[in-house]
Amino acid sequence: MHIPDSFIPLTQAVVYWVIAIPFIFMSMKWAKNDLDEMKVPVLAALAAGIFAIQAMNIPIGMGTSGHMVGATLVAIVFGSPWAGVLVLTLVLLVQGFAFGDGGITTMGANILNMGIISGFVGYYTYAALRRSTGTSIAAFGGAWLGLFISAVVCAVQMWIAGTFPLVPGLIAMGTYHLIIGFIGEGLITAVVITAIAKSRPDLLEDSFTARPEKSKKEAHA
Amino acid sequence: MSGNSNMKFLYAGIAIALLLSILAPFLASPDPDGLESAAGGVIEESKMSELEEMEPAVSSPMPDYAIEGMGKSGEIMAIAIGTIAVLAISFGLGKVFNKKA
Repeated sequence: MHIPDSFIPLTQAVVYWVIAIPFIFMSMKWAKNDLDEMKVPVLAALAAGIFAIQAMNIPIGMGTSGHMVGATLVAIVFGSPWAGVLVLTLVLLVQGFAFGDGGITTMGANILNMGIISGFVGYYTYAALRRSTGTSIAAFGGAWLGLFISAVVCAVQMWIAGTFPLVPGLIAMGTYHLIIGFIGEGLITAVVITAIAKSRPDLLEDSFTARPEKSKKEAHA
Repeated sequence: MSGNSNMKFLYAGIAIALLLSILAPFLASPDPDGLESAAGGVIEESKMSELEEMEPAVSSPMPDYAIEGMGKSGEIMAIAIGTIAVLAISFGLGKVFNKKA
């Protein structure tokens, strides 16, 4: 879903940067308050894994393909959508500058879609579902909806940009990402979260966020 | 950092990420992604070719996750380099924020 430079006029691309920057700033604030020595390796491992898995487009039929985004996965592990925004911003920076995947001018729009919208929708859907459906299904539902909504927003951005017509754009983006979200996002997120819940439940539960060092940090903040 | 059980998580993460880097060039679908497919379907052909001809704002050293003239091994290397770069940046950034706190 990486938007190339040519798909959004420069003035609009700047607007998306202006929207994205406060979110990036907040994600750095999250890192400052919440990251500790125990969490840094987990963050780095997830960031590297998401970069690698994004390089692998999964065939979904209809002559199209899709890859995982991963913001919901990171947000669930860290119990905060800001973590998803931070990791996706880092991944998109490297993708944009080193590999030409997603434009530099449109990076704000890509951070907004893949980091902020997919992460926030995914995380809060997961949080709402978790009690009634359990961790695995909630992770699946959150990740799927996060990706789907981010694709719908992308279609609207393409319409505002004058690149896509509105209704055909919504139908095409919606249909493709309904399926990409099911396989590429929902299934992988559910499998990884379930595996972590079984092998390292401490990473998912409050014990990971409510560490003794944190109270000390908060006292200083 | 010694005694940090999460370092195991990091090593497992690196191993999985590098394995994906090696597999991706062989397993990844050559079909365009959702956005490109949608573009191909909903944009008029003349406008589409116009969009495709536009150069990116900044040219990147390894466009499309490939190193020129190196084939599949170049693709593996490009993705592995990216993986290690993301790892190093996030680890370094995490350390910087952790020190400041």
